[in-house]
Amino acid sequence: MLRHVTRKAAGWLLMIVVATNATYFLASWFLDPRANFRELRPVRTEEQIDRALAPYHLDPRVPLVHRWWEWLTSVVRHFDWGSSPTGVAVNDEIGHRALVSAELVVIATVLSVLLGVALGVYTASRQYGWADRLSQVVSVLVLNIPTSVAALAVVSVAIWLNQHAGLHFLYVAGENSPNVEGLLPTIGDRLLHLILPTLTLTLMGYVGHHLTQRSLLLDTLHADYVRTARATGLTRARAIRRHALRTALIPTATSVAFSIPALFTGAVITETIFGWNGMGRYFLQTIAKNDVHGTVATAAFAAALTAVGAILADIATVFLDPRVRVS
Amino acid sequence: MATTPETDAPAHRLSRLYLRRFLRNRLAVTGVALLVLLVLFSVCGGLLTPYTYADTDFTALTRPPDATHWFGTNQGGNDVYASAVHGLRRSLVIAVSVSALTVVVAAVIGTGAAYLGGRIERMTLAVLHFLLVVPSFLILALVSHRLAGDWRVLIVVLTVFGWMSTARVIWSVSTSLRERDYVRAAEFMGVSAPRIVRRHLIPNLGSLLIVHLTLGVVATVLSETALSFLGFGVQTPDVSLGTMLADGAGTVTSAPWLFAFPAGLVVLLTVSMTLIGDGLRDALDPTSVTGAAGGRR
Repeated sequence: MLRHVTRKAAGWLLMIVVATNATYFLASWFLDPRANFRELRPVRTEEQIDRALAPYHLDPRVPLVHRWWEWLTSVVRHFDWGSSPTGVAVNDEIGHRALVSAELVVIATVLSVLLGVALGVYTASRQYGWADRLSQVVSVLVLNIPTSVAALAVVSVAIWLNQHAGLHFLYVAGENSPNVEGLLPTIGDRLLHLILPTLTLTLMGYVGHHLTQRSLLLDTLHADYVRTARATGLTRARAIRRHALRTALIPTATSVAFSIPALFTGAVITETIFGWNGMGRYFLQTIAKNDVHGTVATAAFAAALTAVGAILADIATVFLDPRVRVS
Repeated sequence: MATTPETDAPAHRLSRLYLRRFLRNRLAVTGVALLVLLVLFSVCGGLLTPYTYADTDFTALTRPPDATHWFGTNQGGNDVYASAVHGLRRSLVIAVSVSALTVVVAAVIGTGAAYLGGRIERMTLAVLHFLLVVPSFLILALVSHRLAGDWRVLIVVLTVFGWMSTARVIWSVSTSLRERDYVRAAEFMGVSAPRIVRRHLIPNLGSLLIVHLTLGVVATVLSETALSFLGFGVQTPDVSLGTMLADGAGTVTSAPWLFAFPAGLVVLLTVSMTLIGDGLRDALDPTSVTGAAGGRR
């Protein structure tokens, strides 16, 4: 059991390494750091530009493999993720941002899974009841609203509430207020800023879990083994919990891990609209500025988040499904 | 039914049963009606206006809806009605092709890997996991940043980076399915692997595939919207519902019509697909009892 999970985790680690390196090559191929210098006045010659890029291992005259090797060794030896074309160290930029984004994505993932699975189980066991119909209508509507529209709607509702109901704790911009001193006030302030972006992301995330969990549980509810369980004298609730739900949770456990990239995409939009300085916004800026190293660091961060989710999903699947051989 | 079950071909009888169950579901029929209207609008809507999405009317910039410009105009003087017709068609074509391609690819790869097992399964999963940890959105943004948003390229890229999560779910369900007695029995009877995949695995995954097909259309519309909102999707001068939303997002309070019409169309499109998908799921589900009045078992 432990060995199985360790081996899987090692596999995921290898995946992150390969994916990050592949992104390095893709980014070097699709982004042109020289573009940043062509706009500058006085006009630089191509040679001057290349020379300016050389200290950051971005000089296009150096073969790509050599640049890659320089980048890789500095990441492995010093955990130094390189610099932008203008010489800003990526490490200085991502430390704070990674925390901000991880906070947002992790909290939203946990909340949306809890909400989604609970709703899915509740509504499937009371199929076509009023709660099922109502939550179905709400979920179908939410499912069909683009993240950008939802986030803007949340912003305008919050502004309206702040103006009309006299509330002053719904913050629509930034991840913290300036000039907050002390540990507890800082934590409180950050939590208040978290409310709206987390609400937006949770709304976007819970729907998929609710609908798939409902549909999966409905499939197993009519299975023979659940009927047999009822026949042995179990109550309906126990039959669902012990027999139907156990099978129906397997695909959900898998899909949770892989909903994280989608949530990260949602985080990019949410961070843009709420003005958070997280990895999502950083990614957009690095692409706009042709910052190869920054883009790769963002991809590595997103891959790491996904891998953590996948390892948790593997553990859950082993517990839930005895038929999946642990060999 | 007029014909007796014995003389009817089983496939024919089954499809009639599915159709009857589907038509009983009022929401699903509403969804079909909505979708038909939307498709008609996207195909014939352009005939009702002299403007095309590319025309600019410099005498009417950012005008609210009136008799000449039914949905108003945007900051560049483009007719919003004509843009909406073109944008809806663009978004529909992208969403439907990507979703169909995605489900087919995912079903073949997911069930194939689960059934064949061994080295093929391990290699497929390795590739799949690899594509999953490279966050597709980031790659998509990288690639379309350079390729300047041709919609055909977008279809290919969205499919290439879109099939994995569906395939992963299908694979994990299939690994449970392949241990079932009837699959084992078919194996011992000498049924070939492709036939087992086709006759036993895929039909048992039917409801999952349908859910993923409809969610796929919805998801594609939404990811196209997301990409365009950030400037990575379909790009000007071409128009999709996503670029129209991005256009109107900045002026939600001052020029709401720029935002309201594409937002309404997106939601109508995705809601209708979801209703159809749910109706199909109920109709195809072998354990479902709705619509099976008397005739079955």
